[in-house]
Amino acid sequence: MSLIECKQLTKHYIRGAEQITPLQQLDLSIDRGRFVALMGPSGSGKTTLLNLLAGIDRPSEGELIIDGNQIHTLSRGKLAQWRSMHIGYIFQLYNLIPVLTAYENVELPLLLHPISRKERHSRVASALEMVGISDRHEHYPRQLSGGQEQRVAIARAIVTKPTILLADEPTGDLDRETGTAIMELLKQFQTEQNQTIVMVTHDPQTTDWADTLLHLEKGKLAEAVTS
Amino acid sequence: MRLIKVIPTVFKQIMRSPIRSFLTLGGIAVAMFLFVMVESMRTGVREATQATANETTLVVYRKNRYCPFTSRLPQYYGDRIERIEGVASVVPMQIHVSNCGASLDVVTFRGVPKDDITSAMAKDGTISDGSIETWKQRGDGAIVGSSLAKRRGIKVGDRFKAAGITIFVAAIQETSKAQDRNVALVHLPFLQEAARKGGTGTIVTQFNVQINDSTKLQEIASSIDETFAHDEHPTSTFSETAFVGRAARDIVHLADVAGILAWGALAAVFALVANAVVLAMRDRVRDHAVLQTLGYTGWLIGWMVLLEGASIALIGGLVGGIAAFIAVRIGQFTMTMEGVNIEMASGPSAVIAGIVIAFALGLFAAVIPALRLARTDIATCFRAV
Repeated sequence: MSLIECKQLTKHYIRGAEQITPLQQLDLSIDRGRFVALMGPSGSGKTTLLNLLAGIDRPSEGELIIDGNQIHTLSRGKLAQWRSMHIGYIFQLYNLIPVLTAYENVELPLLLHPISRKERHSRVASALEMVGISDRHEHYPRQLSGGQEQRVAIARAIVTKPTILLADEPTGDLDRETGTAIMELLKQFQTEQNQTIVMVTHDPQTTDWADTLLHLEKGKLAEAVTS
Repeated sequence: MRLIKVIPTVFKQIMRSPIRSFLTLGGIAVAMFLFVMVESMRTGVREATQATANETTLVVYRKNRYCPFTSRLPQYYGDRIERIEGVASVVPMQIHVSNCGASLDVVTFRGVPKDDITSAMAKDGTISDGSIETWKQRGDGAIVGSSLAKRRGIKVGDRFKAAGITIFVAAIQETSKAQDRNVALVHLPFLQEAARKGGTGTIVTQFNVQINDSTKLQEIASSIDETFAHDEHPTSTFSETAFVGRAARDIVHLADVAGILAWGALAAVFALVANAVVLAMRDRVRDHAVLQTLGYTGWLIGWMVLLEGASIALIGGLVGGIAAFIAVRIGQFTMTMEGVNIEMASGPSAVIAGIVIAFALGLFAAVIPALRLARTDIATCFRAV
């Protein structure tokens, strides 16, 4: 059984008097442990799909089943709880909380988990170690480079051991060399921990690390390539 | 449990935005300082002028006179008052002040007969330093109220000059009554002579009359006034609190007007907290979107906002309230008018009220932004980034 199943997934927005449909009756299955790259032109529905998978947004029609849970039926509160347990989200612009240190940023999602302070500390330290940023744990975001910030953001996303890691153009704001290092890090998680990753990207080179490439056009799946 | 776990994060947000937090806390502290000072003044006025059921002291003053310099009554009136039914004791008093108008630092001398000194002291008055014997032995001796002594920095054995009168400090009186904490009790003949009010043993400013039954206060006051109604020097007799309220009517009025200031200070606290919270919300739209993405519910983020607003107000209230408390304690501020002393209440009630009100206002100011945030959809938050 697939980890992620989208059945006739549709999303409408009302903007002014106009109805916009960024996603139209999308059928999609993603297996556990895959590294999926979502590509397509602007307005093709990539970010909308990512937000639906993250439980940030709700589908207007259709079904979204992740790991056996019918996500589209969950209340706001349940959805937030589910998100905290199953989703790790990496933003293009890192989105670290500026007044918190690297350590405190990574600790934030764990505050929602029923674990001891000791366990929390151990998991934060381990996540920072995995992304190679342990020596910067007391630094504030403003004291870190873009690549370092993104590493902290990745640590924050993986610290809860999520079912799915979602990434919205994770290298979009980084230079080529740093971007490559980040992609290698994500690939490492996939291979070593069988982590399912869904990544939105505009950069054809970053798709080299993905094993499935989904191409969206006008809210529909135009092409699916699996290596 | 989550509600408790996020508390350190809220405090980190407050402490790590030092300029905004300092300015907001400073504003709240200043407003609460003002509020507590005004409340201390109003409490002092209330305590001095509010009648109590068991009041047994009457003040006999010259009719249609409002200042100790113009109230002149023959001392022999004392004997006639003493004969009125229900009167327990009468103490003739000469009042001499360094300033007849409203002032924060007036020295009030009360001249009393040597044998009436115990009656002239406050009912709960005790001598904390020096002795009544020393006072009796010295013609220029004075028993100085503790607040006056602290305010002027005088102690037993000092010589002290005010309003052209030099006295020797024979003892310090401690009492719960502001009127008595702020006066210097001196020998009546000495004061009559020094103040040159018609010569020794003839003229006094007022009589303080003790009665046996508090329920007959008004009845005895009327009897006294009727006794002298057709004399050369008619009298007006009041209960002690009514007398204070009448003499210090301008201060009472001032305290009422100051009440508006107190409300203004509370409005300032509300506006400062609301402004700080709203600005913080605006600055942190992205942070809140991120928190929601991490799994924080709208209600949990709303709780964090509520906690931040209440904490800022509470800390500001504590700083301002305690500063005002210390200022009132150290300053021993006494508003004096026409020889009547009204002390700013230095008890903790105004401070506690101020801190509780600040906390409540902080909660109230943050509740609407918190509710709005709690109800804001995560996608809306993201679109606002």
